[in-house]
Amino acid sequence: MPVTFIGVRHHSPACARLTARTIDALQPAYVLIEGPADLNHRIDELLLGHELPVAVFSSYRDGERRHGSWAPFCAYSPEWVALTHGRTAGAELRFIDLPAWHPAFAGRSNRYADAELRYAEVMERLCREFDVDNVDVLWDHLFEIGADDDLFERLAAYFDLVRGTSAAGEQDTAREAYMASWVRAAAADAGDRPVVVVTGGFHRPALAAALDGPAAWPTVPALPEDAVGGSFLVPYSFRRLDAFDGYQSGMPSPGYYQELYDSGPDQAARHLIEQVAQRLRERRQPVSTADLIAARATADGLATIRGHDAPTRADVLDGLASALVTEALEVPLPWASRGMLRPGSHPVVVEMVAALSGARVGRLHPGTPAPPLVHDAGAELERSGLAGNADLDLDLLDPPDRERSRTLHRLRLLGVPGFRRDAGPATGVEPVLREQWALRPDAGRLTALIEAGAYGATLADACAGVLAERAATAGRDVDALAAVLFDAALSGTDDVSDQAMTDIEATVAAAADLGALGRMLAVVLTMWRHDRIFGTARSATLGVVINAAVRRILWLAEGVRGGPAPADLGRIAALAACRDALRYADRALSLDRAPALEIVTRVAADTGAPPDLRGAAFGFRWSLAPGLTEVEGEAAVDPMRAVRSAFVPGSAGDWLAGLFALAREEVLHTEPVLALLDELLSGMDPQEFLVALPGLRQAFEFFPPRERETIAGRLLARRGLGGSGRGLLRGAPDPAVVAAGLLLDARVEAALRREGLTGREEADT
Amino acid sequence: MSAPTPMQRPPAEVRYADELARLRERDTAARPPGWALSVQAARAFIVGDAKAKVSRKFVGDPSLIDRALISLATSRGLMLVGEPGTAKSLLSELLAAAVSGESTLTIQGGAATTEDQIRYSWNYALLVADGPSTRSLVPAPLLRGMAEGRTVRFEEITRCPLEVQDTLLSPLSDRVLAIPELTGRDAMVFARDGFNIIATANTRDRGVNDMSSALKRRFNFETVFPIADFDTELSLVEAEASALLRRSGVTAAPRRDVLEVLVTTFRELRTGETARGDSMDRLSAVMSTAEAVSVAHAVGLRGWFLRGEPGTAEDLVTCLAGTAAKDNQEDLAKLRRYLEQQVTWRSGRQWRALHAARHLLPG
Repeated sequence: MPVTFIGVRHHSPACARLTARTIDALQPAYVLIEGPADLNHRIDELLLGHELPVAVFSSYRDGERRHGSWAPFCAYSPEWVALTHGRTAGAELRFIDLPAWHPAFAGRSNRYADAELRYAEVMERLCREFDVDNVDVLWDHLFEIGADDDLFERLAAYFDLVRGTSAAGEQDTAREAYMASWVRAAAADAGDRPVVVVTGGFHRPALAAALDGPAAWPTVPALPEDAVGGSFLVPYSFRRLDAFDGYQSGMPSPGYYQELYDSGPDQAARHLIEQVAQRLRERRQPVSTADLIAARATADGLATIRGHDAPTRADVLDGLASALVTEALEVPLPWASRGMLRPGSHPVVVEMVAALSGARVGRLHPGTPAPPLVHDAGAELERSGLAGNADLDLDLLDPPDRERSRTLHRLRLLGVPGFRRDAGPATGVEPVLREQWALRPDAGRLTALIEAGAYGATLADACAGVLAERAATAGRDVDALAAVLFDAALSGTDDVSDQAMTDIEATVAAAADLGALGRMLAVVLTMWRHDRIFGTARSATLGVVINAAVRRILWLAEGVRGGPAPADLGRIAALAACRDALRYADRALSLDRAPALEIVTRVAADTGAPPDLRGAAFGFRWSLAPGLTEVEGEAAVDPMRAVRSAFVPGSAGDWLAGLFALAREEVLHTEPVLALLDELLSGMDPQEFLVALPGLRQAFEFFPPRERETIAGRLLARRGLGGSGRGLLRGAPDPAVVAAGLLLDARVEAALRREGLTGREEADT
Repeated sequence: MSAPTPMQRPPAEVRYADELARLRERDTAARPPGWALSVQAARAFIVGDAKAKVSRKFVGDPSLIDRALISLATSRGLMLVGEPGTAKSLLSELLAAAVSGESTLTIQGGAATTEDQIRYSWNYALLVADGPSTRSLVPAPLLRGMAEGRTVRFEEITRCPLEVQDTLLSPLSDRVLAIPELTGRDAMVFARDGFNIIATANTRDRGVNDMSSALKRRFNFETVFPIADFDTELSLVEAEASALLRRSGVTAAPRRDVLEVLVTTFRELRTGETARGDSMDRLSAVMSTAEAVSVAHAVGLRGWFLRGEPGTAEDLVTCLAGTAAKDNQEDLAKLRRYLEQQVTWRSGRQWRALHAARHLLPG
């Protein structure tokens, strides 16, 4: 029973060629492929004639676990070549791996992700031995360039070496046992005819060793009772396949490897250089012919000293970088290490990576059964009566209407055309409770739903997938993140994946703008505290965001430097939001008050910090401190002293703006502070007062009219004058009239002084 | 001849003379014209080759060395740029020693560097007596490098005024240097095979002098990055600091957990990002591996000579203020903020000790 095991690296052109050659030569009875066994009765769907890349998307959901994963295929995938060549050879095709929902795949979103990550230590040793930067370069060096002569033996030796030194994990062991049972059954059934097994190279030694044993066709595990799930074909793209762009994505640079597979290394290298030059020139970056000659010469030179017959991917990239980058780089070249493109990469390098990635997007054959999302969305629209032409006015307090609003928001977020919201809540803070929608059935609806089918099997799952992707791409843009969180609330998406949570935390941790962070925290905190409409009150997701934002705001606040400057309301609001979080959510979210108070105490006392921030920091401390007797041995808050020490005429208004924004109540209820302020303000000379006036106006704006009235009343009382505070405030006439009056006063005073009349008058009174 | 005078730091070709000799012996690959070694052997000299008993001398991506060597073999110069303390000068010395067998044709750039120090000057006594002639000519490194076909090193090129930098233009593009004072064949010095230039520049010096774009075009730029891998950097700091401490007569080896805290602190302040992912302001002071070694040295000295034990986290805080923040108030504030806010969430005795010792920062 001749069984040929081909150990491959997923998405490797060399392995694809080897697979094709082997199947063509052997004309086997069975071709067994690493892939989801529950798809075996639908292999014909895969071979309908799609435009690659496509992927098998599998979704799963039960009481506690939700999982979505992809098995992507492109033209140079050995698995794909095994399917097509196996079919041509008339072989029986079988996928032999466990279904994607099986616990053995928990935590993996790409079936064909590189297994090298699981063998990191030995890979590192190999790279060191060959003096190359990383696994991708090593792979190209060993297998993709050069003759295919003894590729089969070399691959086997490589994978045996890697696998031989380390034990497989529990998950891999379960999968290998299952795959081996298929191999034994197929071998027994084939009799004398050959069987070809195409699996990841790391599984090959284990499968070959398990050839002896009982041979019965294994059963395909059935979905657990309480679970829903399934697999279906979705269009895929090179961008999603590229390791520079995402997690667990397999080999980097699909565009380049496609070219390598189609037309060989020389052509691929030339094409790559052309592409990069073209892209850079389109962006008006100078690329001279001399540069291109230098790039090509360097690439060839590198290939020679690295022992390659033709330049590899890294040779060409190194050559281009040498010739085209004429300044210091901020971050290392992305192909020197694995993983995503890092922010701050040189523009030339970004274009190079984009050229490598390629823009190809797959398309399914029209005869392919539509992904379940299409059916789910259709059923949902019918059920809620949203399928037709309509103008809706939804009351968000009414549960059925709220449900419809959620469905509509999910469709909107998936980019399905024909659902337009004309009015409704735009942020989490204003009390808008109605929404207006215009529904216009659109021919693009079906296409959009098929594309969105790659994100999930139901509207809710797909929406969660889209939001997670947006959270990942938000980068350092806090406003974008706030939009994601609000969209999640609107669409009723409450279970956010761990990965998305990590991304959100990362965005907050890297945010640089206090104002944006404050705006977001204010919205999120309101949603966390109150929102029963959207069901976000006490949501764990928002709790994590609040925690991260509080930490970040305190960190940023201590770093702001600068002398007197007009009050920045954004950063004052950020401190206010941060204080509110500590006040209302500290127990529920285990936020720690003591370090926060230490920080604001330092900011308040820091003469290098801008006055508005110092005022706000002092207000922060004052408003939280009463319950707290001592802050690390320091005396309790002494507002009199603080006001006195901070009252510099030029910046008093800014300092007070910060204070009033955070500790309005405290100021209002502390009579001596008002008295002190009155004393200090009265003591200013006219010139100082004019300078401070705009700041002071802004500061007192923080008091609502009723409280301003109270203050005015107290002032009158202090001066022993009658009348109501309201009268004093209402009496404020046009500033021009006041100015004219002041001028007149000054002239009269001058005249009196000239005539020597002031002294006697004073003596009289 | 008497025995050679002991040198504080002999040049690379002397320090590694036996390794170079071994590589030359085993070198069978084709050599670029004018080179002392083949490209492969030169690469092995720098990244190490266990079989030929050649040590690894530079910690970094091997592809950087490949690109640098290929640049030297083409008609463009090699420009090594990067933060201070990333071993650019060491790399340029090793490259010159490997390619030409000699690393001493060096021009040290500075505000006072003149064309005379780069190209040639005159022996004025002979010049007055004989007039300009090859006898009265005093060649500087560039002229010698061109005439002898060797690698010339230009350190800190951006510290030179722009017009002085531009002296390199025609030697790099036309590979010829004119000496207008001489006549006949001597008036033009054509570069022999093997001549090329390795320049180094600090990215922090960009404010001092820029480079003309004409000169930039004649160089291939290579950025040398700080060590990417934590464990590699930690081992390097431990080895170097231990050696320095031994030379200073300290018998207690530095504590590994204190060094871990030190290296983590340096890396985070250098990159402006904590292990947890918070982004921070970078210090304007140089937080290189070399600085980390010197701080580790100082920490060890303090611990030993003040208390007779290895340095602790308290010593680290004191030394950080002096060595890292220096007299820069802003850096000091950044350092304080780091110790206040970014240390508390970590576990480990030394981190807690570091946090507790934050009051030792001056000011």
